[in-house]
Amino acid sequence: MTSLRANLIEIIQLGSEIGGVLDLPVDHWPEPGQYLACQRLSSFSEILPVSLFAMPGSLDQLTLGPIPADWLPSDQLAYSPPQGHGFSLPISARRVGLVPLQVSPARLLPLADTALAQGAAVALFYASSLSSSMLSWVPSSVEILPVSTLLENPDWPDYLAFDVERATLEQVIDLVDLRTFQCSGDVLVRTPMPCRGLGKCGVCAVHTTRGWKYVCMDGPVFPITEVWHVAR
Amino acid sequence: MWLDEDKPILKRDLVLEKPFLNTSGALGFTPHPAAGPIFDFLGAFITNPISRNPRQPAANRIYLPFPGGFMLHTGHPNPGITRAVKRYQRRWAGAALPVIIHVLVESPSMLAEMVRKLEGLENILALELGLPPDCDPGLLSVIMAAGVGELPVIPCLNPGQIPIFLDTLKELKPITVHLVEPRGSMPAPDGGLVTGRLYGPAIFPVMLQAAQTLVNAGLQVIANGGVIARWQVDAFLKAGVIGIGLACAFWQVEQAQLLRVLNNSN
Repeated sequence: MTSLRANLIEIIQLGSEIGGVLDLPVDHWPEPGQYLACQRLSSFSEILPVSLFAMPGSLDQLTLGPIPADWLPSDQLAYSPPQGHGFSLPISARRVGLVPLQVSPARLLPLADTALAQGAAVALFYASSLSSSMLSWVPSSVEILPVSTLLENPDWPDYLAFDVERATLEQVIDLVDLRTFQCSGDVLVRTPMPCRGLGKCGVCAVHTTRGWKYVCMDGPVFPITEVWHVAR
Repeated sequence: MWLDEDKPILKRDLVLEKPFLNTSGALGFTPHPAAGPIFDFLGAFITNPISRNPRQPAANRIYLPFPGGFMLHTGHPNPGITRAVKRYQRRWAGAALPVIIHVLVESPSMLAEMVRKLEGLENILALELGLPPDCDPGLLSVIMAAGVGELPVIPCLNPGQIPIFLDTLKELKPITVHLVEPRGSMPAPDGGLVTGRLYGPAIFPVMLQAAQTLVNAGLQVIANGGVIARWQVDAFLKAGVIGIGLACAFWQVEQAQLLRVLNNSN
């Protein structure tokens, strides 16, 4: 795998997570849902690279996270080019729902920018209150609504993007019965990816309609129909 | 001298042209170009563990970091020996380095069956045996006998198993033993306890001591040990091991560090 260099320019508090502004060339920016393996140079405490995702930030800068708490501006980093499959937002989507279930909305918010740019209405369906540090990064045109609103209006979205921990998949699918929705959608499956596909270690394995798949190689974003009912 | 048709032809030499190997579980089932130029530096490629029947990922699979390392519990997912041979034998045969197949031993008879399926495959240097958790010295002897065939058989043991198996290994004199990562426990997110294999430089002192014990017992040793730096390699070689298994070193982004380990460069 190719390793490349970057500098950590700035750190940003995003709710409970920390984002970092990195000076990567634009052609190395991950799409929403993709990840990028990153490691601080000359660090004796980090055994493995961390997987960083696009996070909300200034449009002309790349913000990735969550970064480790001890990374500081001016740290030098090594990284690999973006990996994995990101969200497949249809160009025709006009009503986009972002649904982080029991996780931070940070990894879904970059998708809001893409959806707004193509003229879609975007709603963030979130179960609890957003912290002020996260709220400041939500575009003003994005409606923030409780998840119950989505469940009461299954005909509204024509695309849904979920963000879910792999370990809680079975629990969260009880919250959202996808049989009531007619739209397409994707789910970002969160799980540790220690080998990033090099070892097929199996830690990130998720059961899909196409059998067992690796989140690190076949995801992290999967079509929702492949994952949702299988996890039940 | 006439060959005795009743006796199997045994390969008794295990020669590694270079002292580095990957730990089973570090680089998948076949050498893959995505891993980069590292295969030029390896003496052999060890496959992920393969069992007789297919295995799914463990329901409580987990990666848990701790200072100096991490724990993995995966359940050793694999397609089973029959499907693995069908799927991978061509890539094993065409690999640029010899292949050691890691088999999970559940019983001596299952091992014998797996050995028969693997003999005759091209470019296979040896089989290494992941022993069952309840293995005792008597069972080890039976397992080693069941593994006898055309390919050398390398038993794997972790440091905790050395006191149990050392005398037996001295009698059995396997061609090589592979000292693999220790097992440990960590608190799981759900509040319980999870057991798994430990990796990372924090295990190095235990592994170096264990390797020295095995070498001093007259055994030929391949040792894993949380190696991420050249000085650790030098320490293992000074202890007398013939091969060093690398794991998390391959999963680094910073390739220059790995190449410093493999290349003896500063």
